Amino acid sequence: MRILVVEDERKVAHALKEGLEAEHYKVTLAHTGEEGFYLIHSETFDLVLLDVMLPGRSGVEILSTLRKRGLQTPVLLLTARDTVEDRVLGLDSGADDYLVKPFAFPELSARIRALLRRGRGEPAARMKLADLEMDVVARTAARGGRPLELTAREFDLLEYLLRHQGRVVSREMLARDVWKEAARHTPLDNVIDVHIARLRRKVDDPFARKLVHTVRGVGFALREEPA
Amino acid sequence: MIPRPRSVRTRLTLWYVGVLGGVLVLFVAGTSAVLFWTLRHQLDRRLREDVETVEGLLRLGPDGTLHVGQEARAGDMRTQRPQELIEVRDAQGAVLYRNEVLGGTPAPDEGVNGYTERSGRLGDGTRIRLVSRRHSVGARALLVRVAHSEEPLWNEFRRVVLVMLLGLPAGLLVAGLGGYALARRALAPVDAMACRAEEITAERLHARLPVENPDDELGHLARVFNDTLARLEGSFEQLRRFTADASHELRTPLTAIRSVGEVGLQQPAGSVDYRDVIGSMLEEAGRLTRLVDSLLTISRADAGRIELHRASTPLLPLAREAAALVEVLADEKGQQLTVEGDEGASAFVDPLIVRQALVNLIDNGIKYTPAGGWIRVCVEARGNESVVEVSDSGAGIAVEEQGKIFERFYRVEQSRSREGGGAGLGLPIVRWAVEAHGGAVEVKSRPGQGSAFRVKLPAGQVCACRTS
Repeated sequence: MRILVVEDERKVAHALKEGLEAEHYKVTLAHTGEEGFYLIHSETFDLVLLDVMLPGRSGVEILSTLRKRGLQTPVLLLTARDTVEDRVLGLDSGADDYLVKPFAFPELSARIRALLRRGRGEPAARMKLADLEMDVVARTAARGGRPLELTAREFDLLEYLLRHQGRVVSREMLARDVWKEAARHTPLDNVIDVHIARLRRKVDDPFARKLVHTVRGVGFALREEPA
Repeated sequence: MIPRPRSVRTRLTLWYVGVLGGVLVLFVAGTSAVLFWTLRHQLDRRLREDVETVEGLLRLGPDGTLHVGQEARAGDMRTQRPQELIEVRDAQGAVLYRNEVLGGTPAPDEGVNGYTERSGRLGDGTRIRLVSRRHSVGARALLVRVAHSEEPLWNEFRRVVLVMLLGLPAGLLVAGLGGYALARRALAPVDAMACRAEEITAERLHARLPVENPDDELGHLARVFNDTLARLEGSFEQLRRFTADASHELRTPLTAIRSVGEVGLQQPAGSVDYRDVIGSMLEEAGRLTRLVDSLLTISRADAGRIELHRASTPLLPLAREAAALVEVLADEKGQQLTVEGDEGASAFVDPLIVRQALVNLIDNGIKYTPAGGWIRVCVEARGNESVVEVSDSGAGIAVEEQGKIFERFYRVEQSRSREGGGAGLGLPIVRWAVEAHGGAVEVKSRPGQGSAFRVKLPAGQVCACRTS
């Protein structure tokens, strides 16, 4: 999977490159709009990460030109502006998704996966990690064969973690995708923490191998860690 | 194009003089016309009398010749009124009597129906006024014409008009000077105000304009200007404090990031330690992000750029929803969180924004109430307003702090621990959310006896399912 990152801030660009390469994408960097424009024309990418505030031509301008010329590649806009008008402008110009800086890397990674996966069938109805199993349709979960008694919210939370298993999910992602809250706020962060703690009590406490992990400063991950 | 005079003073004076000049010219013209008409009317009356006198003197001799009877009387008449020109003609126009040369040919209809008057000139150019009447002496139809020089009339008329025309510019000049002086006096306070206003800058917003007479127009202007200044000063002060507070708040996590990073790099450490350092730095970065988000939200709210999607919203379900979101926090502390009230209470508000306000209030209640306490949300419909009260059995708020808790970045001293509290923006956001809907929020609290926050919102449509 080839990703083009058009970002003028070099530090950010390199962090993105390293992060995405760690997830086994092939990453090409462009530091100006012109360069990105040229690369998109001359090579083929599976996805473009496009910064809005670029020297010279803005990301939105480049994007609308490209879309007018029939470019089909999914484009994720990165921007420091987050008013509703900015979002609408971005999406109107043909962006497939929109991420406001500063963003958490796990969030970016999840959005990229979602864009690349787009149109590839229904999400799995059954999921598994080690001895943890979940049936999304029947809304049941079990660990080591023993059913877990989960509240609706805890089930949704565990389902989300399982779908992103092995990866870190941020509190922003949980707030938006599990709690369906428009904005993250302090009370909600505390609520998320309490739910994670409760989930951990049910999923991990009775077992020796822990699956729910806190990644300090970033979020949470559901994964098997070497003991 | 004529250049526009620069000062209001000059413009006012020019307008004044212009209007006054126009009025005076009309006045002079009107007066002259009336004067002329009156003079001529007098002359005509005199001429008619003369015509009658002449008629009375006419005698027809037996031979058909005309005599102006009693020559002596006619002579008297002539001496008394030496300027009189008298002429008597017969129907065919032949001159029967003439005391001086009147000249001209009578118009065909002259004197037909009573008196006719006309003006004309003699051969030497003298203006005359002529009055004629047909008169019969015996069987003879005669035309009696009496004329008088108009020159004295014209002379008098010219004299009067000349006097008026000479007086007019002089009067205008005096009026103009007076008007200019008056305008200058009237506008002097404006100049003074402008001078004072020029001295007022962003740094010296506390200065005010002098109000000499608060009831006149200039006093009104000064008052309005001063009110504007006061508001401006308030906003500036708020902005200054906000910027200072915000910088301070931003500095705290920045300092943490720096010091954690610097200390982490001072000595070589294992990857576990480094992970810890990076995690700690990321936590602070996260706090910084949230802070910036809040500041942006607040500045947008201040600029009135947050659009409210208002609808008639049932309040009890909204309160339940808000409570449900944070219920787990109360649960953790073994607190009792209850929501009760009028099923029919509704408010005309943006549900998302009011819900956020309620979440903040309930969360605050949970935070400042010890384990095992209670938090109660009570919804009430009260005519054209709806009230939501969030009360708790917590520590309460000291009276001197009650006014400050809605200020940005203010934290009650003992709870300043950052772990528990946010950035001190929870209640300011509540206040903004409520006031943006035209509502009000107030707090009642006594230390040790819990707190109650009352949110008043404009009522929405009363629901048909109202039960109480």
